[in-house]
Amino acid sequence: MSGRGLGLLMDVISRELVVSALELQSPPRVPRQLWILPWAERNHPSELAAIRNAYPDDILKCLPFLEKPLKTSGDEYAPGLYIDEWGCRFENRQWGVIGEVKDPLLKDWRDPAAVRIPEERLSVDARKVDEFCRAKDAFVYSWASVNLFERLQFIRGPENLYVDLAERPDELFVLIRRLHAFFKEELELWASTEVDALSFADDWGSQKSLLISPALWREVFKPLYREYVEIAHRNGKYAFMHSDGYITDIFPDLIEIGVDAVNSQIFCMDLWDLGRRFAGKITFWGEIDRQHLLPHGTPAEVAAAVSAAKEALYRGGGVIAQCEFGAGARPENVASVFETWNKLV
Amino acid sequence: MFKEMQEALIAGKKAEVESLVGQALAASLPAARILNEGLIPGMARLGELFKNNEVFIPEVLVAARAMNAGLAKLEPFLVKDKVQPKGVVVIGTVKGDLHDIGKNLVAMMLRGNGYKIVDMGIDVSPEKFVEAARSSGAGIVACSALLTTTMVQMKNVVEALEASGLKVPVIIGGAPVTEEYANQIRAHGFAPDAASAVEAVGKLLGV
Repeated sequence: MSGRGLGLLMDVISRELVVSALELQSPPRVPRQLWILPWAERNHPSELAAIRNAYPDDILKCLPFLEKPLKTSGDEYAPGLYIDEWGCRFENRQWGVIGEVKDPLLKDWRDPAAVRIPEERLSVDARKVDEFCRAKDAFVYSWASVNLFERLQFIRGPENLYVDLAERPDELFVLIRRLHAFFKEELELWASTEVDALSFADDWGSQKSLLISPALWREVFKPLYREYVEIAHRNGKYAFMHSDGYITDIFPDLIEIGVDAVNSQIFCMDLWDLGRRFAGKITFWGEIDRQHLLPHGTPAEVAAAVSAAKEALYRGGGVIAQCEFGAGARPENVASVFETWNKLV
Repeated sequence: MFKEMQEALIAGKKAEVESLVGQALAASLPAARILNEGLIPGMARLGELFKNNEVFIPEVLVAARAMNAGLAKLEPFLVKDKVQPKGVVVIGTVKGDLHDIGKNLVAMMLRGNGYKIVDMGIDVSPEKFVEAARSSGAGIVACSALLTTTMVQMKNVVEALEASGLKVPVIIGGAPVTEEYANQIRAHGFAPDAASAVEAVGKLLGV
């Protein structure tokens, strides 16, 4: 626990703290958020509880508050088969992590009706969402998980989709338009509530590059993301985005279209280059290296990484202390992330 | 003609690659020459472009498909001429892990560079890697993992191969995998991407 202590900071309202960080208004401390995979709840319940108690989240993902239940089957985090609300089938071998689609819905284009648009996701009880937001001091973002690229992969299978992107069949663009229309409808719905931000998520990077060329991303996907951001801003919400992997090449585009905060694997990229080019222009919503440091490092190494992130990226705000307590992570390392941030800012 | 073949391959023009291979065969060029001077250099160039982030997964996949089409046309002639692959590589994603796009890219690159691939698929136990290495006479075992919780299985593969008495080097790769980890588990090679995997295999096999 930080010697700087929570005592001085107890009166800080989390929502104001997050807004202050997003607006570079020198918040009294860095706002924080812990992402938790069921693996952590299963393997480290008491340590997780202690971390959550010591470092409560300033940012919350809203609960879904759907009036109609999603039509799913199985447990997405359990070994076996899970079928999600779109009808995509995920195979899994491990507790606490999400499986992989091995039998895509559209192996060929013959049966587009196989893709089931989950209209239940539009049955959000806005009144309950608003009550949730009002009952919390925290900054709340939408439950809607808008994930166009990922969803396309789940529907077509990753390799089919990549070939589609090279060959550009008309059917691909029909599917993209169909999904995009649904996602926009979903975002508009959430934008009508009292959440503070809308969120969307796709994994665009491999370990060392984008998965598709920056030019292709700009041509096909950037205009769609721009529309998501516009929905947020038109409704007075912040736009939060997540992407795993190396995405340095599209940071300028994300800034240009107005993404307010991006959750990315900053340790996959050149941290100092990110800082030099983008700090103060977009908020870095985490993270700390969950592939190597959190599972294999020491608390001191984690503290050094947090210090580097602060030095590279912090500009009187512009950083949210987020990390993921996922498969393999050591609890003491997760705690070190928040302890160090509290000492630094 | 070979330059044209390489360009068509890199551009993923499957029909053109097939046609050019057909033309080369019709001109009585030896299959080995078509492979070694036509197709493989194209795939090697593609690997370089991929490594340098000049092409990305979509381009690699369509190029690999064009390569496969060319190879399929060439295959009967390679068999007839008793042309041997550069080596045999057993490849798979380790036990508990179902992610395979990285593994598939590596397999495509290796196949396109003249290796015979024994693709064990996903969720492959150490015992199955050993069995496949033994039965195929593999020169290399290549293991992939995406998860921090499954990469530990790579150590089990190395140990199972050591215990089996087979002297088959292991190379590893995947998002959370590092060279340091490869050294730690006594793997013989590490590849941060598919093109580097071809280099690592070539180095270990001395080809």
